[in-house]
Amino acid sequence: MSVSALSRALRCLSLSPVCSVAQGGTLAGRLPSPAGSHAALWSVVSHSHPIHAKLSAPPMQWRGFFTGIPLAQNSRFWKQRAKYTIRPIGKKKTGGRDHTGKLCTAGIGGGHKQRYRIVDFQRLTFEKNTEKQSFEEKVIEVRYDPCRSADIALVAGGSRKRWIIATENMQTGDIIKTSSVIGRMAVSANEGDSYALGALPVGTLVNNLELYPGKGAQYIRAAGTCGVLLRKVNGTAIVQLPSKQQVQVLETCMATVGRVSNVNHNKRIIGKAGRNRWLGNRPSSGLWKRKGGWAGRKIKPLPPMKSYVNLASVGSAS
Amino acid sequence: MSKVITHGFKTTQLVYTLNHFVQRSRIHSRLIGQNVAGHRFFSISGCLCSRGPPQRKSTPAVHIPGLEPITYADRMHYVPGLAKPMFPRWERGWYDPHHYIGPKNAEMPLYKEKPCYIFHQKTSVLEGVRQALWLTKSKLIKGLPSQILSLAEDTANHVENQDERVQQAIKHARFWDTTENRPTRQRFCPVLLDDLLHLCRTVQAKHPALGRRMLAENYSLAACWSRGEDLFQVRGKNGILLNSVSPLPAVAGKEEVASTADYVLETFYPISPTIDLQLTHVYQEKSHTGFEEGYPYPYAHTLFLPESGQAYRLRPEQLRAKMVMFAFGNALARAQALYGTQPQVLEQPVVVQCVATNGRVFQFAVFQLNTTELGTDAGVKNMVWLEEDQPLYDYAKVRPLIRKREVQVPAGLAGYRPDTFKKFLALYLHGAA
Repeated sequence: MSVSALSRALRCLSLSPVCSVAQGGTLAGRLPSPAGSHAALWSVVSHSHPIHAKLSAPPMQWRGFFTGIPLAQNSRFWKQRAKYTIRPIGKKKTGGRDHTGKLCTAGIGGGHKQRYRIVDFQRLTFEKNTEKQSFEEKVIEVRYDPCRSADIALVAGGSRKRWIIATENMQTGDIIKTSSVIGRMAVSANEGDSYALGALPVGTLVNNLELYPGKGAQYIRAAGTCGVLLRKVNGTAIVQLPSKQQVQVLETCMATVGRVSNVNHNKRIIGKAGRNRWLGNRPSSGLWKRKGGWAGRKIKPLPPMKSYVNLASVGSAS
Repeated sequence: MSKVITHGFKTTQLVYTLNHFVQRSRIHSRLIGQNVAGHRFFSISGCLCSRGPPQRKSTPAVHIPGLEPITYADRMHYVPGLAKPMFPRWERGWYDPHHYIGPKNAEMPLYKEKPCYIFHQKTSVLEGVRQALWLTKSKLIKGLPSQILSLAEDTANHVENQDERVQQAIKHARFWDTTENRPTRQRFCPVLLDDLLHLCRTVQAKHPALGRRMLAENYSLAACWSRGEDLFQVRGKNGILLNSVSPLPAVAGKEEVASTADYVLETFYPISPTIDLQLTHVYQEKSHTGFEEGYPYPYAHTLFLPESGQAYRLRPEQLRAKMVMFAFGNALARAQALYGTQPQVLEQPVVVQCVATNGRVFQFAVFQLNTTELGTDAGVKNMVWLEEDQPLYDYAKVRPLIRKREVQVPAGLAGYRPDTFKKFLALYLHGAA
């Protein structure tokens, strides 16, 4: 057996100077394995044949290799994919941990398994090879979404389907319109339609508000919320958010008319502690803490109006 | 094991002398790597191999001609201040089918600029029959044509002890076929279809023309046409095809066909008719029935689709759309083989029938291809007769359904509908009786 092992070792070796072999021999001798003894044996053999050392080729590059497979446990990039799909994507629970494995959000853990449906927050995205001013879509399905408080709607128009956030009275079979035209007259919008803010009449209830034209809706997406279009000032629009804070955005920003669906979300009764665990919320610590300044009623002036106008437009560049 | 160790000796002399400890630990890790169980220690592999923070923006590499960067390649580990080594991409010197990377779509020989929309057996079209009618430029008529209904009503055509034998066939498929408690749909649906087809074949004594038929499974269809500005295809394997030596007679007469020119096709704005079809740029414009030139049974008679919901399941509306599309595909491929690929109004219409079942409910369709001029909406239309949702029986229960201590549905076969098999038989006899 040792002879065969020796011959095999000789076959798969490249030759190197004697000193390195001696070094390697001593190293291998320290290794606590039977294979190490083979190697040590080989070093003895090579000592007895010094001719081999003179024939040595230039040393080969050994690049090393990785023995592990990457386990992307808390990867944040599972949502980013090259192609849009309406199929639900399986997602992993983070337990409130970030990519380094450290706790970044307390009170999260467990819960029912959920699947993510990619919601298209950019209502004004055109189909490939079609640049239209406005288009219509048909609602196919309105359903519950585990990943958010509002309901979502599957809409189809042209030869594509996508998920959007459903508005309050959206139903299967509805036709909804999306338009970027800002005319001289304000439009009479139906619920669920999406218009540029400049086209809507003052006082309209809006949701899914864009902050920068083309970036996609970022505000007013939670269940039952709506904002009010307060006024339009030379090329900008001022919208009151559900928190009563006012924001000023460009009038080319898109917004959906109406109120977000699932209005009774804040009235539901959790019922028991276990249901909160089903939802993935962990209980707070239970340790008694003296109430501090955070408790009680505070009377504060409203924060000043926030302006998103002068900043560079992000989405238009891309 | 010895091979692993000795492989390690191939490294350069420098490293050994410089860095004993690193090298030794490296060998040690390799020994672990050989052992599969090493992967299972999540505490080790998880913290070593989990994904890092988001990548920083890479600084562009500066190449100064005449200067060679000093890399840490021979150290085999990262050294601050030395450049990152760039190795050439390793090429496997041989062909390995498991690691084959195909060419990009745009580099394939069949790549074309104009896209093609493909309907295949897994396609579930959103708008169902309406969409199939638009794609095939057809007019829908509810119910089966009168010739087939009269064949169904004629008792002379029936099988002896028909109702009893059909019930035997159902019981065979649902109860007696397997040693399991209850067979799955994947099992009983094709078995029931086979049994019913076998019953139909027993009428051959009365109608000798039935002998000139042939069943074909796993045939592959290719039909290509252009509708509007787009190119469409029906492709692939589907169902069981009953072929015949002689073509089916036209179901609708010439006057009825001519009157379809006034019919206006239904549209479904804002949804495009191409929704849910597979869009591809790599395709072949091919029309072929799936049978070679000298095949003695060239004419497609009836297409049987067992919808057993194995890998994908179609809802009834989508199944009917599939029936229409594949019956049309068969007819079109036959017509293009007979009359050439030039679009024209056919002298003799091509008729193909289609039967789909999920093991309980049957769908019947008769497709008559009047024209291959599908480019525009004007002119003569094709015709589809569709009989929807015909149950053969209501329940086939292995155990009775009990609610509130009352037997709602008894065990065994219940609610047998004789009319459904009459229609099935009539479609089979059509063209022979």
